[in-house]
Amino acid sequence: MRVWLGLAAILLLAMVVAACAGHAWASPADLWRALAGDAALRSRLLVEWRLPRVVAAAFVGALLGLGGTIYQGVFRNPLAEPYLLGSAGGAALGATVALLVPLALPQSWLLPLLAFAGAWGATLLVIGISRVAGAVDAAGLLLAGVAVAAILGALRSFLMLALSDETVSLQVVLSWVLGGIQTPTWAGIGWLALIATGCVGLSLGLARRLDVLGLGEAMAIAFGLEVRRFVMLAVLAGSVIVAAAVAYGGLVAFVGLAAPHVARWLVGPLHRPLLPASALVGAIVVVVADAIARSALPPAEIPLGLVTAVAGGPFFIALLARRLRS
Amino acid sequence: MILALALAVSQPAATQPVTVHDAFGRTVTLAAPPQRIVPIFASNTEIVASLGLADRIVGIEAYTRYPRDVLDRPLVGGRLGFSVDSIVALQPDLVVVTPSRQAANQLIDPMERIGVPILVLLQRSVPEILANIRLIGRVAGVAEQGEQVAARFEGRLAAVKRKVEGRRPPSAVMITGRLGTGLMLVAREGTYTGDAMVLAGARFALPGTQTIAQVSPEAILNADPDVLLWAGSARDLEELVARPGWSEMRAVKSGRAHAVNRVELLIPGPRTIDGIEHLAAIFHPDAMRP
Repeated sequence: MRVWLGLAAILLLAMVVAACAGHAWASPADLWRALAGDAALRSRLLVEWRLPRVVAAAFVGALLGLGGTIYQGVFRNPLAEPYLLGSAGGAALGATVALLVPLALPQSWLLPLLAFAGAWGATLLVIGISRVAGAVDAAGLLLAGVAVAAILGALRSFLMLALSDETVSLQVVLSWVLGGIQTPTWAGIGWLALIATGCVGLSLGLARRLDVLGLGEAMAIAFGLEVRRFVMLAVLAGSVIVAAAVAYGGLVAFVGLAAPHVARWLVGPLHRPLLPASALVGAIVVVVADAIARSALPPAEIPLGLVTAVAGGPFFIALLARRLRS
Repeated sequence: MILALALAVSQPAATQPVTVHDAFGRTVTLAAPPQRIVPIFASNTEIVASLGLADRIVGIEAYTRYPRDVLDRPLVGGRLGFSVDSIVALQPDLVVVTPSRQAANQLIDPMERIGVPILVLLQRSVPEILANIRLIGRVAGVAEQGEQVAARFEGRLAAVKRKVEGRRPPSAVMITGRLGTGLMLVAREGTYTGDAMVLAGARFALPGTQTIAQVSPEAILNADPDVLLWAGSARDLEELVARPGWSEMRAVKSGRAHAVNRVELLIPGPRTIDGIEHLAAIFHPDAMRP
């Protein structure tokens, strides 16, 4: 219980600090005034722009934590990460099309839609290929994922070369690929909350069977688990969750890999507590990293994926070293 | 009284609120003439300044170098993007932006949400530059000035046209940059830089480079244009044409390889008109001699 309260308190604190952070720092009092309906431009910026982004960052982090935990559970590999099965390449391709090809829908819709379709479509493709090839075990999936990622990456690079010009900048695509939290409207945040709740429910539904699978394939079969079917099911669920995260956050490196490990140290390996704990850890990490990305180098914004990798990497290594030594 | 009258004449009856449509087809309405303008990119800053509104500019981006008297304004962005926070801190009542780098992507949405008018301009051709001078003039409540400035530029362009008309257009290649791979960026048809070359009385030695601006040096050597232009320093041009193959080009041997001013030809602002006059003098030295 103490762990949960602690995580929740840290997340809340991180969100308040992040809402204050920016090129122009606000005080908690400013924040309060803005929430109370102050009409000044700066207050409106806080309410309409900065707060929704902080909330969206928390949800994206939570989704990445969930997705990473599911993938690590399915592949029984601590190095598994949410972008493993082609979802990164697919999402990036979808986003590139949305950003570079003039289409009828407004970009604010098109970008998350195509990123989601790309991420999920790519994972479906990977699963399909591994089935056709007859390699439906984890290794087969991983190899198909590597191949599909290479193809999608090449397609994206070609689109970037062929479609960019003076008005459509490659930097827009690049900065999306390097990770950046979208800023939904408050209505959009409502949708995101709904999606995230659904994802938590979906992943908790897998929790017990992930525990059984964790005992090893033979043991899982002995427990009556249809391993192959469950692996497919869990991968599909994981990829929906990751695709939702990608649609709202671009490609945020490293969080999906690291958050489950930190959560495991806090609550142990059983998935029922591990999944929500990973979600909370992921949310904290992305909220803090996004605040750094927005405020560290005024007037520029650093792509979020760079912050999570560069700042999160050493932090994770330090935690890991302490853990291994003790 | 006289002062008031003078003011009334110099600032014709404000026709605000003004509603215009920008390059993205967005409807932008200004309740009053903007007094605190943040133009993103050198081109937009130069257009605002050309209307005599430099003192209304409250912020610029890091790669704006002209006019000098706005260079002390706070920076709101640069190579790594544009800061909504920094712009809002300046309390602007108009942001002018071009969809380049990440500017439109990063700024339109937040500015719309908090209610700061943001105008998107495209400067893909010389006529668009002139149209934008008029548009900013209307938006800023100085429509007459906009009309005058644009008409003056049109007059100068017409004068160039009269001088070069009927003369054989030399074939030309303008190299605007070099990539690490050895490929070269060239000015293409359908861009303002390409426009400037045509208006100055040249034709493209490399036609049909519509989609990709990068060409191999061989293509330029093969085209062997009458005039070779290098948008950059004279020293870099010397270094380039000293290379094997290049020194054999007709343009190099006949002394028609020229370095041209980057800011006049690669920033789509009012100074492009200067650039066109300078190009015309290179393409048609006899016609342009005063």
